[in-house]
Amino acid sequence: MTAGRIGLVAWHVFKESVRDRVLYAIGAFALLLVTASVVFSQLTAGQDLKIMKDFGLATIELAGALMSVFIGVGLVAREIDRRSIFALLAKPLPRWEFVVGKYLGLVLTITVNVWAMAAALYLALGYQWWVAPLGLRASWPAPALDLRLLIVLLMITLELALLTAVALFFSTFSSSGLISVVLTVGIFIAGLLSADLRGFNDIVDAPVLGSLVVAVGWIVPAFSSFDVKAQVVHGLPLGAGFLLHTIGYAVAYSVSAVGAAVLVFRSREFK
Amino acid sequence: MANAVTTEGLTKDFRAGFWRARPHRALDRLTIEIPVGGVFGLLGPNGAGKSTTLKILVNLLWPTAGRADVLGCPPGDVSARRRLGFLPEHPTFYDHLTAEELLMYFAGLFGHAPADRRKRASRLLDLVGIGADRRRLIRSYSKGMVQRVGVAQALVNDPELVILDEPMSGLDPVGRRDVRELILSLRDEGRTILFSSHILSDAELLCSRVGILAKGRLVASGSLSDLTAARSESSGEGWEVVATGLDAPAADRLTARARRATCIAPGRYSFALPPEARPEPLVAEIAEAGGAVVSVQPLRTSLEDVFMERISQ
Amino acid sequence: MSAGRRPTAFGVLAVAGGLAVAAATLYARDTRYPPPPVTERMLYMTSGSVASRIMLSFDSLAADVYWIRTIQHYGRDRKSGRRTGRFELLQPLLDLTTSLDPHFTTAYHFGAIFLAMAPPDGPGRADQAIALLEKGLRASPDRWLYAHGIGFVHYWHTGDFLAAAEWFERAARMPRAPSWIGPLAATTRAQGGNRAGARQILQDLLESREAYIRQAAERLRLQLQALDAIDELQRAVDEHEADTGRYPSAWIELVRAGALPGIPLDPTGVPFAYDPATHLVSLGRGSPLSPLPQGLTGR
Repeated sequence: MTAGRIGLVAWHVFKESVRDRVLYAIGAFALLLVTASVVFSQLTAGQDLKIMKDFGLATIELAGALMSVFIGVGLVAREIDRRSIFALLAKPLPRWEFVVGKYLGLVLTITVNVWAMAAALYLALGYQWWVAPLGLRASWPAPALDLRLLIVLLMITLELALLTAVALFFSTFSSSGLISVVLTVGIFIAGLLSADLRGFNDIVDAPVLGSLVVAVGWIVPAFSSFDVKAQVVHGLPLGAGFLLHTIGYAVAYSVSAVGAAVLVFRSREFK
Repeated sequence: MANAVTTEGLTKDFRAGFWRARPHRALDRLTIEIPVGGVFGLLGPNGAGKSTTLKILVNLLWPTAGRADVLGCPPGDVSARRRLGFLPEHPTFYDHLTAEELLMYFAGLFGHAPADRRKRASRLLDLVGIGADRRRLIRSYSKGMVQRVGVAQALVNDPELVILDEPMSGLDPVGRRDVRELILSLRDEGRTILFSSHILSDAELLCSRVGILAKGRLVASGSLSDLTAARSESSGEGWEVVATGLDAPAADRLTARARRATCIAPGRYSFALPPEARPEPLVAEIAEAGGAVVSVQPLRTSLEDVFMERISQ
Repeated sequence: MSAGRRPTAFGVLAVAGGLAVAAATLYARDTRYPPPPVTERMLYMTSGSVASRIMLSFDSLAADVYWIRTIQHYGRDRKSGRRTGRFELLQPLLDLTTSLDPHFTTAYHFGAIFLAMAPPDGPGRADQAIALLEKGLRASPDRWLYAHGIGFVHYWHTGDFLAAAEWFERAARMPRAPSWIGPLAATTRAQGGNRAGARQILQDLLESREAYIRQAAERLRLQLQALDAIDELQRAVDEHEADTGRYPSAWIELVRAGALPGIPLDPTGVPFAYDPATHLVSLGRGSPLSPLPQGLTGR
């Protein structure tokens, strides 16, 4: 069954990542930063909770992005390079099922890791709440254990699912892991700046160059559009329309990227 | 279905480097038929196109021209891959898995139920002789063990056609014998085995039919006996008689009878007789000359002879 | 489905279609459901001294980053149609930039010109501009540019010509001050503001290396031109009254009388306004040169 095979491929991706030491290195790094945020929060009097939320969320996003890039690129490119893919592709596994299975396994891996780090952040925030006097608690614009942080985490998960799709695409056609990493990181940075790129014409008066830059800003996956950290940390409302459209964007772009990866992979030969 | 595999004018060109205009022709109009049952050996020197052919059959490469049929379907058809097993050359497998996990993974891809997968895995791993190590990570396996895992994973679906690319590579003599016996037992079960090798002695022991490739072209194909017989007819069989205790003048006299005489050691000579001549008269003359016969052997054309002759054409 | 040799046209179109759908969804979201703007947009370190402690040894790099954001913020707000909160982050950003790098001359210079600019081209905060320049002088007490900048703000925006003259004098005493500042200080003290002095100040700005400073100076120059034009037009109106005994009721009368070649336009192409009740010429409503600086007499 198609679903069964895709599920098997995905499950094995997850299994491989659990046994992969890269993951633990990144996780340790994230844990370190979340701990550091407790220290930093002491530096800015009165803004400690906000700093901790900002810093913790940014750390989770950064660590998750590193995982998406390195694991996403490594997974397919490494298999092709080491030729462990030959025996697999000689099985009755259609190539598109292979790509989709890899993608879903990666998304599962990233999601589990992001939410594990989120649990750690919530623990740290809970500790802050516990030790804070009542007066200080009342002054916070948003509660310590704010459930709306989950919205930010959802956005981060969507953003990383999109980034993983991009990483997977690059690793299907480039068998050099290094090139794939560079390209993916480049697109990620461009995507983080996509709002600025789209508004380029607002700042600069150069018609031809401006239109080109704006076009790039629309084509590149808009990673900056998932950033609602500031709104949630300040306790501002986020409507259902906003959330649904964002989810729609992430899904549409991710599906397109995975589709492109399938197209490339279906035409690859293995010498 | 009479043939397990048929190819017709199968051609494969590779782009040789970014700048060269002329592609490298790895396979040139290969037309071959591999009947069901029996063991077929695809032989040739390194770079002859053996791996290329096998990869085309399992859809890892696509032909530039010509067509191929695997178990009655084109190689791109998933149903062909359902009934065959493939062992790639110099295989590597996911080394973060154990052998048992790998086989269960592959068994799952064929649609076997979870309970069935473990049984299958155990049975196959025992069959190839690494049942005791099945729960260790493949990362820790020696080259020979990896090769055995490779053979096992090629059999996970009880295939009608087993395609093995250099199955003996990396194996010690014990391993090679085990694989040889495995191949023969698979043949006895009625499966078709297609393997590629550049080790001719294995082919001689295993194959009922062979195909010889050189520089992408098929230079010989047919049953082993036909090929060697054909050569014997053209270049002849004969006899080889080895004798000791002969002095030089006696040897010179005896040489006149033989086609060729070689001095192996002082007093020890090897005489090659043409096929029409019987060895008995020479034996008698050796005895008369005071020598002792060490051995009398029929000279059979070996596969190696056929091979060397054909690839140099 | 078996693997083909080339991606099919259908496949490529499907992927492109998917990307188009994605872009359309994003566009719909940003226009119909934009996320609420954060009033402390992007700054959670409003205190410059905290910022420099956190930035540790990367002060000047951080200053550069905040400088870039200053420019972006200015550019974006200038082009957007926002009515409320325009340029509200300009002062905090400049404050951060100059705290991280107290010798960031360009930032002070920029602040001097743009912080004081009246809406809609700036926040219209001459006091913030002066405060910023005074901060610069505390870090570099010998910079004639900062003292001159404070004088400039008084000259163009607050109309306090006495203060302007004092600051020009101070600037003239500082090392490497250009030669024209001394005389400028003298005439300002003697006569108050005049356009000749203003033109002199502008000359320096028009030669600046920074494009946006040149643009701002160009605009100021056009304002001076408009002031000159208004004087001339006022003269034409008064002459018409002297000749005909009546003030004109509209520009067209002066055109018919041959006093003017056509409806008078300001340097940006907006017609000047003439109020028949008060007989006064002024800048046309909606002219981008509005509001004109006060107190600059003469030519």
